Amino acid sequence: MLRGKLKLPEKARRAFPDRLGSIVAGFNEKDEENRGLNHGFELGEELETFQPNGFGLDRELDDYKVEDEKSDGELGFRAPQKPDRDGADSVSFSDVFAADEKRSDLEYEFSQKEINLEKLQRVASSGLPDGGGLRATAWKVIISSSFAHLQLLLGYLPASRDLWEKELIENQSKYAKLKEELLLSPSQFSKREDEPLRSNKQYAGSDADGQLARHDVSTDDHPLCLGQASVWHQYFQFTEILEQIDRDLLRTHPDMKFFSSNSSLSRKNREAMRNILLLFAKLNPVIRYVQGMNEVLAPLYYVFSTDADEKNAANAEADSFACFVRLLSDSVDHFCEQLDNSSVGIHSTLSRLLGLLKANDEELWRHLELTNKVNPQFYAFRWITLLLTQEFDLHSILRIWDCLLSNPFGVQEMLLRVCCAMLLCVKTNLLSGDFVDNLKLLQHYPKINIEHLLQVAQDISPDTSSFCLSP
Amino acid sequence: MDSPSSQESVGFDYLFKLLLIGDSGVGKSSLLLSFTSDSFQDLSPTIGVDFKVKYADIGGKKLKLAIWDTAGQERFRTLTSSYYRGAQGIIMVYDVTRRETFTNLSDIWAKEIDLYSTNQDCIKMLVGNKVDKESERVVMKKEGINFAREYGCLFIECSAKTRLNVQQCFEELVLKILDTPSLLAEGSKVLKKNIFKQKPPQPDTSSSSCC
Repeated sequence: MLRGKLKLPEKARRAFPDRLGSIVAGFNEKDEENRGLNHGFELGEELETFQPNGFGLDRELDDYKVEDEKSDGELGFRAPQKPDRDGADSVSFSDVFAADEKRSDLEYEFSQKEINLEKLQRVASSGLPDGGGLRATAWKVIISSSFAHLQLLLGYLPASRDLWEKELIENQSKYAKLKEELLLSPSQFSKREDEPLRSNKQYAGSDADGQLARHDVSTDDHPLCLGQASVWHQYFQFTEILEQIDRDLLRTHPDMKFFSSNSSLSRKNREAMRNILLLFAKLNPVIRYVQGMNEVLAPLYYVFSTDADEKNAANAEADSFACFVRLLSDSVDHFCEQLDNSSVGIHSTLSRLLGLLKANDEELWRHLELTNKVNPQFYAFRWITLLLTQEFDLHSILRIWDCLLSNPFGVQEMLLRVCCAMLLCVKTNLLSGDFVDNLKLLQHYPKINIEHLLQVAQDISPDTSSFCLSP
Repeated sequence: MDSPSSQESVGFDYLFKLLLIGDSGVGKSSLLLSFTSDSFQDLSPTIGVDFKVKYADIGGKKLKLAIWDTAGQERFRTLTSSYYRGAQGIIMVYDVTRRETFTNLSDIWAKEIDLYSTNQDCIKMLVGNKVDKESERVVMKKEGINFAREYGCLFIECSAKTRLNVQQCFEELVLKILDTPSLLAEGSKVLKKNIFKQKPPQPDTSSSSCC
């Protein structure tokens, strides 16, 4: 199996507490934990958002599961159209046929007892079909498997497909438990434990009223407690983070109603993403939440929650969380200021990008580095930390991610290749421009044929030198 | 080869570097977009740094403004510190509807300037954004004025959304820069070259001819 070839990044082990790893072992099946998420959304309300993606009313097949054979045969997949208001690539008939073929390939693959990961990766790297649920399933399988080293390390071994359901259910209840433990306020939590109501009524939005009797006032911990060990103190520390998350979620793909409108569906989506990001922040106290994580989460959540299978879609939050954590395990150090100048930090990765560029096109490297002095920090910092999610429209991002996720050498390796290819693809413009022109071009990357870009990325030769710039 | 924009220097009299700083979500990018393209739209959070150029005629001069728009979140501060270098103008933005964005100016941002700005004479400007949300306002204009007095900066309230005072904001800042000889010298490429010419490589000016 391919799994054996995957490298175990040193940093993944360090960055993630065992506790976290153990709860993200798989992905989930059942809907759960929609408590507090429902804003009275009715199906069909947001057709405008969903329909372009071949999704919306076409939810005939409720029982599509990973192990069901050919179950999403007529899943409303149409020509790969673009989601809400994005990209310009047009779709030819041959593309449609190719996509159809790919779709049956995938369906067949998912019907097998043992998924052939290499084959799946191969199909995915050439682009997964939009709409339906194939991309969602493929991503989950690929992410689960590609980051298998994590689970292996923690004693979890994703085996054949038959075992998935059990894993999923287990994982889902772990997620629910984690949410309960970490996202409820201390008063909500203590009430859940059936303790007598203590002093914390106002924050729980609870119904307690009247005065507190003296004996009801807790002596050890209370909302105004400033001690580091106080659960209340810890709870309030996160309100600031929560506000930041909320602000950013409202600004995630601001041109897409799915994320940033005022509709109940959009609010429900933000609520789910907010839970995921907050949970991640709480589980990673050193890194917490960093702006841009919302962007990395967005494609996952979008793909999983627009899965044509309702059950899968309803479970998008738990699935997204599991995959988000794994995806970041590879690159979370880029978000960490303290590691900026370490060998796993962003500067080192930027140097690797330069090395790759130099190995593939020394002329361009010379122009950017020596002539114009366009520090990659000015443009590639965002490319890399956000996995290109702010450079393209969502449709293109999904296509690029098919490629990133399915690369046998890892997401980060492929990401650097795509970044390098992005430079190569605008070489002529770069060479004729000065510092300002170059910076503007790279910070606002032009519309480009994504298939061509990915092809260039695939053809990039590795940097064999030990070239490394000091940050 | 070393001065890539030398051809362009024909098109303008001065090149100034401006920097936008302030908490996340106060509207730095919106302010900049409002200024550079007279439009307002919802924007994604800035990650790292964004960069825009605007050509403008201010105070009878042709100007090229290179404006660096930084990310507000703490994580990005060590990365953005280098952008302070050589800036002739720094715009500190807060949101008049969020008190903490104002208090962070003295707690954080003014200190950042002290720490990283290399330019003693650099002009600072305080900007209270989002005055279109008057009903939600929590920071009074008077407070902004007082802060500006204390820290010796210019002050204006504006709305990137309605574009109220946006042009004025940048104009005031640039006019002040134009009024400051040392900054003017920095901003002028031609002048810079002259300075180099006036300082010939041979340091011994002992043969001081006084003609």
